[in-house]
Amino acid sequence: SSNEHKLNFRKSKEACLSFIQDALLQKEWKRAAEFLTCYIESLEKDYSREHIGPSEMIWRTGAEILWHHSQSSMKEFNCFMEQMKTLGVKRYLKVCLEHVFHLLCNGQIDEAYQNLSLAESWRFGEQTAIQDKEMKLIQAYRGLLDYYSWSKQKNILLENSEDGFSDSAVEQEMHGYFRKAAVNLKEIIKIPGVWDIFVKCYVDLLEFYGDHNEARQVLNEYAYNSKFPANPNAHVYLYQFLKRQREPKKSLISALKILHDIVPSHELMIDFNTMLQKSKKRKKRRLGLEVIFAALDYAGWKENVKAWSCLARQVKQIVISEKHLDWIKQEWNSRKDWWPAFHFSRYLAKRNWRENKSLSYEKALVAGILLGKGCKYFKYVSHQGCKAQLKRFRMLKKFVNRHNPVYLRISG
Amino acid sequence: MEFPAALFPSYFGAGPPQEEGGPAPLAGWGEHGQVLEGGPGRRQVQPAFVPRRGATGERWEAADAAAVPVLLPRAGCWIPSPAPQDILYRSGLCKKLRAGKSRAILDFTRQLGHFFVDHPEDAFGSLGRLLHKNFYLGNSKLQRPARSSTIRMTALVEDIDRLEARRGCPRQHLASRLRWFSHLCRDWLFEVPLGLLADCLHEELMQQWSNLLFDDSLTGGALAWLPPEDRGTPVGCLVHPGGQAMNHLYFQDVVLEELPRTRGAPAQFELSGRIQQVAAARVDGQDFVGVRSDYHCGVWRLLGKRGAVPTPLQVIHTDVPASCLTVSPHLPGELSVCTQSGTVYLWSVETGLQQLRHDPQTMFFRDHSPWRWSDFTAHPRVLSCADRTGLQCLDARAPKRCHFDLFKVGEEAGCQQGERVVLPMYLGRAHPSQYLVTTQFSVYVLDERLPLVPVLKWAHMMKAPPLFAHLMPGKPGRSHKVLLGASRTQELLLLQYRDSFWGVSSGGSQSACQLAGTPQKLHSIAGCLQHLPTQLPHRHHLLQQRLTAPAAGLAATLQEDGPHKSMLIFQLSEAGDVFCQRLTHNAAQPPAPPSRDEATTAPGSSPLFEYRRWLRALSRACKEPPGHTWSPSLSQRRLFTRKDLEGPVGPSSLQRQMRQRLRQTMKEGGLIQHWAPLALQPPPLPQALEPAGGLDPLSARLTAAWAGDWEQWWEERTSFSVAKRQQALRERRRRQKRAQGRRSLSASFTSSLTYQSELSELSDTGPSVLSPGRPPLLSQEASPPAGSPLVHSPATSAAPDEALLSSQSLRCRGIPKERRKTLRDYLSVWAEGPPEPPEPLGSQASQLCIPSSQSQLSSASQPRRKRPRMGF
Repeated sequence: SSNEHKLNFRKSKEACLSFIQDALLQKEWKRAAEFLTCYIESLEKDYSREHIGPSEMIWRTGAEILWHHSQSSMKEFNCFMEQMKTLGVKRYLKVCLEHVFHLLCNGQIDEAYQNLSLAESWRFGEQTAIQDKEMKLIQAYRGLLDYYSWSKQKNILLENSEDGFSDSAVEQEMHGYFRKAAVNLKEIIKIPGVWDIFVKCYVDLLEFYGDHNEARQVLNEYAYNSKFPANPNAHVYLYQFLKRQREPKKSLISALKILHDIVPSHELMIDFNTMLQKSKKRKKRRLGLEVIFAALDYAGWKENVKAWSCLARQVKQIVISEKHLDWIKQEWNSRKDWWPAFHFSRYLAKRNWRENKSLSYEKALVAGILLGKGCKYFKYVSHQGCKAQLKRFRMLKKFVNRHNPVYLRISG
Repeated sequence: MEFPAALFPSYFGAGPPQEEGGPAPLAGWGEHGQVLEGGPGRRQVQPAFVPRRGATGERWEAADAAAVPVLLPRAGCWIPSPAPQDILYRSGLCKKLRAGKSRAILDFTRQLGHFFVDHPEDAFGSLGRLLHKNFYLGNSKLQRPARSSTIRMTALVEDIDRLEARRGCPRQHLASRLRWFSHLCRDWLFEVPLGLLADCLHEELMQQWSNLLFDDSLTGGALAWLPPEDRGTPVGCLVHPGGQAMNHLYFQDVVLEELPRTRGAPAQFELSGRIQQVAAARVDGQDFVGVRSDYHCGVWRLLGKRGAVPTPLQVIHTDVPASCLTVSPHLPGELSVCTQSGTVYLWSVETGLQQLRHDPQTMFFRDHSPWRWSDFTAHPRVLSCADRTGLQCLDARAPKRCHFDLFKVGEEAGCQQGERVVLPMYLGRAHPSQYLVTTQFSVYVLDERLPLVPVLKWAHMMKAPPLFAHLMPGKPGRSHKVLLGASRTQELLLLQYRDSFWGVSSGGSQSACQLAGTPQKLHSIAGCLQHLPTQLPHRHHLLQQRLTAPAAGLAATLQEDGPHKSMLIFQLSEAGDVFCQRLTHNAAQPPAPPSRDEATTAPGSSPLFEYRRWLRALSRACKEPPGHTWSPSLSQRRLFTRKDLEGPVGPSSLQRQMRQRLRQTMKEGGLIQHWAPLALQPPPLPQALEPAGGLDPLSARLTAAWAGDWEQWWEERTSFSVAKRQQALRERRRRQKRAQGRRSLSASFTSSLTYQSELSELSDTGPSVLSPGRPPLLSQEASPPAGSPLVHSPATSAAPDEALLSSQSLRCRGIPKERRKTLRDYLSVWAEGPPEPPEPLGSQASQLCIPSSQSQLSSASQPRRKRPRMGF
């Protein structure tokens, strides 16, 4: 009966799929290709109601096979993708995008651009929400490619102007690219998402044409709009922009303060700390200490010499001036139960000494002040340092010994 | 670690997932996802792009055709966990009903029946004792005075038997007598109120069934590899559970060679519960090993030097089963524990437990699963907590105030409807702020500096959800490898990803995370079945059952020996087997990929040797006392008190005679055909009857066994052919009578005896032909092999002593008259031998479903009664 036929057909389809899957997972592209040619028959009688139909499976597996198959060529791949585009209306834009990605990764920028333009002009009935998103992405990538063309023309122009002649045709072309790029890039970055490259390119365009207000607005929106994810890069771009604009320290600090609040372990925290340490205001210096302590809480910073030397410098300053010891005390309070095991164990002392002497120097200084001269880390490192007759380690030992009472005040 | 200066573009939405869900075969192929400018292109000429997925990865190739056993099986056979057929209703009718719908029907009544039969004392104890005088089981009519206070139960029992026989019949009507009886006594007969008991049983059955569909207690896996020290000899340590109840913890030193080789005897600890998870981390050169069972968690410490004895540090006990135990990679002796009540603890060996959160509700939306997980993050004081709906990070110093959402099943991560978190894992060894989250559909890599937005997402297409994951960090610039493992299907998948690549758009600094190479399927334990030497069919079946047992853990290690890089992957099964496979790194750019027929289809000589050794050890380990699994055993203690059974002092002459005969037969290696006293010489064996087919029964039986449908043969033989034989015998008797006319009385007596013994031969010799090595039923009292304390001894001897059953001796033991026949009938049923040999474990396994407080373990080896070594 036809029902049974359907059932059998479905079974053999499933079996074929699992063979393809098996071959793909074992990187046997030829075998997978053979099975795939059998599977194509399933398109004829597509009774499935699964949300991934046979046409999508053929597209996915076919593309994967053609990426890896030793005898496939770009021409074949293009041909295959063109066929896949016509297979399913719902996936047309998605397949176009993937095709473009593959062209871009293979350095075929012009072909990719053509494909994007074609896809952009595609219309079919009412667009679904997903198709709308895909269309926006297609436009954004076209904008990105326009930006690269603009940037190329700009470089030509700059070289020419250095040589002393100007070319109005090149300039016209460049402005044309600018307009095309700006329109598309501006669109996508309004929608919540992660648009790092698009934002960077758009801001670059705006800055070149002197539209700093718009650039600032775009970056502020990208960083502070709550509908967008908490992307550290948004804050980094804003900070870099403010720096380029030679904005006052105050606004730089406030930009970094927000970055510190969302990502205390960001690598810009070293710059932030240096900036704060130089400040004359007590509150800022206090914040600087907080920032560097917080950064060193993270496992990724454990062996960061720069960070340890920042902390060592600031702690040393405070100890010498004997003012604001309470700052250290407060920071140390929430850490004294785990920093010794995390940073200042004997095992780490040995390893740091073996692998990185200057790291062990900075850490030993901090350990000596925070934990006193009896601390395992300090004892081991200073002992080794003195044994190796290194002058700065001898100084370190003297310094810690002299300021040992500080430790009692901090831990008390 | 620097934050990537530019991330791959992606949309960000909020709210519940929009995409319609469902398993999507092949959904992970053929997609680049997104592209980003990067790579070593010269910007002036042309931008170069890199894809999120599809970049080239390292080539790893399997060194052998299948996985190879690392450890030899230990004594004591594995008890398989319940299978669907143990708890599902199966009858012809139901199968027909089920064909349309796929809903499973739990066999509730059978399980309740099992409980009543197996635990009569718990079910009816007190009322049974009270009413025992008022229930009469004999066949004769009751006398006048007794009739007023006694009920005759025989008819009722017959009704029940009839009901059993008609089971599955669509026109099944309850006998009115039964209905009347159940109405009458349903409310008071049971020790535990029936409604309550039924609720508990139903709950347990549902639990068992959902465990069969998806058992999350194994999440994380119970296998750990403690790598060798950086500059030491290549000796690592494999930490794995073992024993029949998987309640022994082993620390086995393993030398890494071409194939890993065990060295010395393992350090062994006996724990008081099934080991569900073994987690390990190395801090300051010491390995900390956390072990989770349902109600206990323990932590061991190993000093870096191999061969050092592991030191148990601490044990905690939880009231609710623990669902997670992870070991801190930052601070020595710190772990995190979650229980199914929604509590998360930070456990420090020095300072004890600190409760971070208690919330029986799930975090982001309602989900019924009590499963919770927790792991460490880049900040030693910040822990992640997970349930099926997502992950949050909490600061242990102020858990109520300081927390943020790391992952949500929702539009934020582009999830599908119905997607649920299966296993989160901190990827700290590869990148301090990255996290792996697997769901039944996809794997995600998250960066805690950019919460909620996955930096990588890929549909893994595995058939079962990945419960195990293992990370092998790559050196800077090289890809990290992640292994995903599923339990039920034993799938193993190798993925590669790079946490960063050299980006131009980012001004020459690190750029976003990308998936490298294509995923690769690795050998599963079951895959080696086809490479094993040919086995006898029933052995093959047992072997298959053992090798296809669900996976229970996963561990791996990278080995670099100069230019040669290889990867060793260990897989643990629920049966306690650890298998290993080696992948070698192929540095050269792909020549022609080796075709399937070359090299990879047959294992080399040394794996074959390993298989043989393993098989030999397995058959040695599983050589069980006869009757242990094949014949039902019966405790007489349930029926009678010891006083009842105490016979007259000293063996009777009959007994002495019997013993002597037994001894002699054993000496001769013969069989005892019939338990009649010697005086009555066993009648001569009748001539074998030629069955219709022409084959003699033994050959027919062997032929059937070889063909694999022995079960069917047996069935036919017991039901249909008995009738046929009886018919044939009657036929023969008639012929004999007709031929000989008159015969003496004694002759006819003999001939009727012949008929009897022929029938008994049928049931007696059945099993002994099946496996000639096994003595017949009577030698059941053999003790389990010495030196294997875990092998649970079979219940006390089942062999009913004929003399014991004589009405005389029963009387002198004070057993009431009406119970004597019941008893004799009862024991004779057991004495007939195994009714259904091909499914020996079925009845045993189904008993596991009975809701007793100790559930599985109690029937397996009763580890609770043993004195634990360290209060565990």
